[in-house]
Amino acid sequence: MADGLGRILSKPVFEPEQFIAKLSGDGEDALLDMKAKIHMLNDETAQALKKNVYKNYSQFIETAREISILEGEMYQLSHMLSDQKTEMTKMMELSLVSDRAMVQGSKGEDEDKTSPEEETRRNLAFLLEKVEGCSSVVDAPGRQLVHDGDLVELDTETHSQIHRVHAFLLNDSLMIATWIPQRRGPMRYRFQGLYELDGLAVVNVRDTGPVKNGFKILMFPESHMYQTDTAKAKRQWLDALEDTKKKKAVKDKQKKEAATRLAEQQLMAALASPGESDLSKSNSWSTYVPCTLLPAYFLSADWLQELPEDLDMYIAQRNFEGAVDLVEKVYDHLTVCPKGPALKEFRARIEHRVKQLTDGLMSELQVSPERSLRGGPRAARRAVTQLIRLGKSAQACELFLRNRSAIIKYNIRQLKFEGATTLYIRCLCMVFFSSLSDTAKEFIKAFPGHFGCYSAFVIWAKQELQTFFSIFRRQVFESKASLTTIADCVVLARNQCQELGSIGLDVKFCLTILLENSIQNMIEETRDQLIDGVKYRANDDLWRPMNHLSQTDCDKYVAEVAALGFDIKPYVYDKCFIAITMNSVQFAKSIVNYAEDLLKLFNSELEDTIAEVLAAVYKAQVLHIETSLKSEQFKKEQSLILKNSQFLLEVVMAKIESLYSSMNVPFPVKLQQVNAHFRKLKALINK
Amino acid sequence: MSKTKAQQPAVIHKVIMVGSGGVGKSALTLQFMYDEFVEDYEPTKADSYRKKVVLDGEEVQIDILDTAGQEDYAAIRDNYFRSGEGFLCVFSIREQESFQATQDFREQILRVKNDENIPFLLVGNMVDLADQRQVSVEEATRRAQEWKVNYVETSAKTRANVDKVFYDLLRLIGKYKLTPAGRKALSQNAANLPSETTGCSCVLM
Repeated sequence: MADGLGRILSKPVFEPEQFIAKLSGDGEDALLDMKAKIHMLNDETAQALKKNVYKNYSQFIETAREISILEGEMYQLSHMLSDQKTEMTKMMELSLVSDRAMVQGSKGEDEDKTSPEEETRRNLAFLLEKVEGCSSVVDAPGRQLVHDGDLVELDTETHSQIHRVHAFLLNDSLMIATWIPQRRGPMRYRFQGLYELDGLAVVNVRDTGPVKNGFKILMFPESHMYQTDTAKAKRQWLDALEDTKKKKAVKDKQKKEAATRLAEQQLMAALASPGESDLSKSNSWSTYVPCTLLPAYFLSADWLQELPEDLDMYIAQRNFEGAVDLVEKVYDHLTVCPKGPALKEFRARIEHRVKQLTDGLMSELQVSPERSLRGGPRAARRAVTQLIRLGKSAQACELFLRNRSAIIKYNIRQLKFEGATTLYIRCLCMVFFSSLSDTAKEFIKAFPGHFGCYSAFVIWAKQELQTFFSIFRRQVFESKASLTTIADCVVLARNQCQELGSIGLDVKFCLTILLENSIQNMIEETRDQLIDGVKYRANDDLWRPMNHLSQTDCDKYVAEVAALGFDIKPYVYDKCFIAITMNSVQFAKSIVNYAEDLLKLFNSELEDTIAEVLAAVYKAQVLHIETSLKSEQFKKEQSLILKNSQFLLEVVMAKIESLYSSMNVPFPVKLQQVNAHFRKLKALINK
Repeated sequence: MSKTKAQQPAVIHKVIMVGSGGVGKSALTLQFMYDEFVEDYEPTKADSYRKKVVLDGEEVQIDILDTAGQEDYAAIRDNYFRSGEGFLCVFSIREQESFQATQDFREQILRVKNDENIPFLLVGNMVDLADQRQVSVEEATRRAQEWKVNYVETSAKTRANVDKVFYDLLRLIGKYKLTPAGRKALSQNAANLPSETTGCSCVLM
């Protein structure tokens, strides 16, 4: 019937009004009946629903997990994409720089002024690509491109055209490069001369003859005449020259030094390669000997010619191994090359690439918030190896360690604090020390033979340990945990620390130093608490033997105390009486507990402290016994007090002694002295 | 790149205008070049002009470098002076200071050219404003004699003696180029210039 009802209700064409109208016609009984049925149906449905939910529960969980993994992957993917995008824009900039410079040349000074300085600086690097033999020009620090453009050089006498040149106005000098016809590749100009602006005389040649848009550069003993395409371009050149000369004059004093240095350099270069002057015969600019093609033979190999482009490609593809292989190969090759300006220039071009490569590798090791740290140390090893091959072991080391720090931090943050301090500390120690040992192992693998880096690692380990300790301290010492917990935690940390020794890394002494103060404070604090406790109980002590009323209860109690390590059977009398007071048992318990904790923390630095605090607590109790013995109030209880003191000073002390001997630590003199007190007390009675 | 064939006379004489700022170097040059007088004053940086002239029946080119009176940098001025073969040292007769400055210019030119006989004329400009004269003819002539050069008074406004100073200087240059000392001095200072073998065709005055 219920099934039938269910079918009716779940019909797609079910019409509630009709159904109700039909029902209401059948009278009250039928209605009640229907109500019960609907209830039943309701329950059934709820149950079925529940069952279905349980059935699909595991699938739900799995799906949820898949979704979260997918989410993470999407994040990574988007990160990689944005990485690639920046890579692409970098490449675009790389290939556009030269074009931009040309645009600048034609568009002129207005644009030049608005463009930021760093852009012009970058342009200097592209000079290397365009102009043969200008490495000495680019090398000078602080040099910037102010203006450049194509010009035609004219004969100063006849005003006939000689050749096309490209002139680069730098902030301190003017560089002229001649155009090389029939030359493939980006090197389209050859360095002709560099003129300092200091003595450069510029002459505006008026358009009097057939020659338009000319200007002259007078630089004893040379004079040159150039022609621009348009009157506007000439105006720009003259203004730019004038302007730059003025600017330079303003800061002439500082510049002068640099300029003389540069001149010397060039003179040296000229002297170093005397054979070059023959090749520059067509060139009367003798002050600055242009670079020659003397070592060109060594540099003309096809793979060398294409090397800069290949390197660019490898870097773009993030094929760092390939790039480094190439760099090593070319350096090997260059060492056998004869020295010369061409080699120097080529070297400069390569070094420019190497710098890019280094930057790429460094960014690989850089810690960024979005980047996944799951790659672990092995992922970093690749970049580190390449950096070491490039001779950048110091940077590699620094970045590697920084990367590791981030991983450790991340791992520690992943730990959930779930109430039990000991549990958390166990996890913390495990994570931290295993990371430390992983790093150490990885470090040894990644930096074989780079002993200089090892000291960096040691310093790093110490810093990490300090970070670890600050967390440790916050959780352990500042959380008002009991001494027992603290002792356990310290023991955990010490043990983990010990294990690092197996890989040759000993940071135990650092940990000890870090822990020392906190432990000392904690021990003293606990001592004060115990002494306070002793005093408090002493006030209430009436020196009554314990009465357990029945033998079974008494036996139970004796067993209980025996479990703590004391035998109080000899003190039982009259079946249910024990000649030890509650106070004594409590003191025994707390002192043994304290001793246990202290001995866990034991090391040679703390040896004295431990003995001292134990003795101090004991003495407080002994003082109480002594005053009780002397007191008139307890005259009748003297034998009981004596029994108690015998229990505390012999049985309990024996227990502490056995704790000491189980640690292989000699029983301290201070405690032996306390032990000797018993006889003194006895003597006190017998008087 | 095709070379434009500029059929130019082979002889080029390089004249340099020197003198303090505002004495009328540019005005003289422009009057000589274009037969016009420019009233408004605009300081010159360094302009060069070239003109074909017929000197005593011979066509020569005159290359005038009009320098800046205000040029502050001695090193740059040296470079201008080095390129010159003859000098018109101009002052304003109504400005004693500009006359005194000629002494410095003379010294600098002699230092750069390293020859006392370098073609040189002392030019007193602005004679059209004789009522404002501060420098007497005697004074100027005495100095010229001291230097063993000629003194000419000109007016860029009225064109008085303008052609004369340029032509006189051109003749001096032409003569000078024939002397062994002149040839030596000029070739020293312009090592990269084609040798002036055609200089001998100049007609002597």
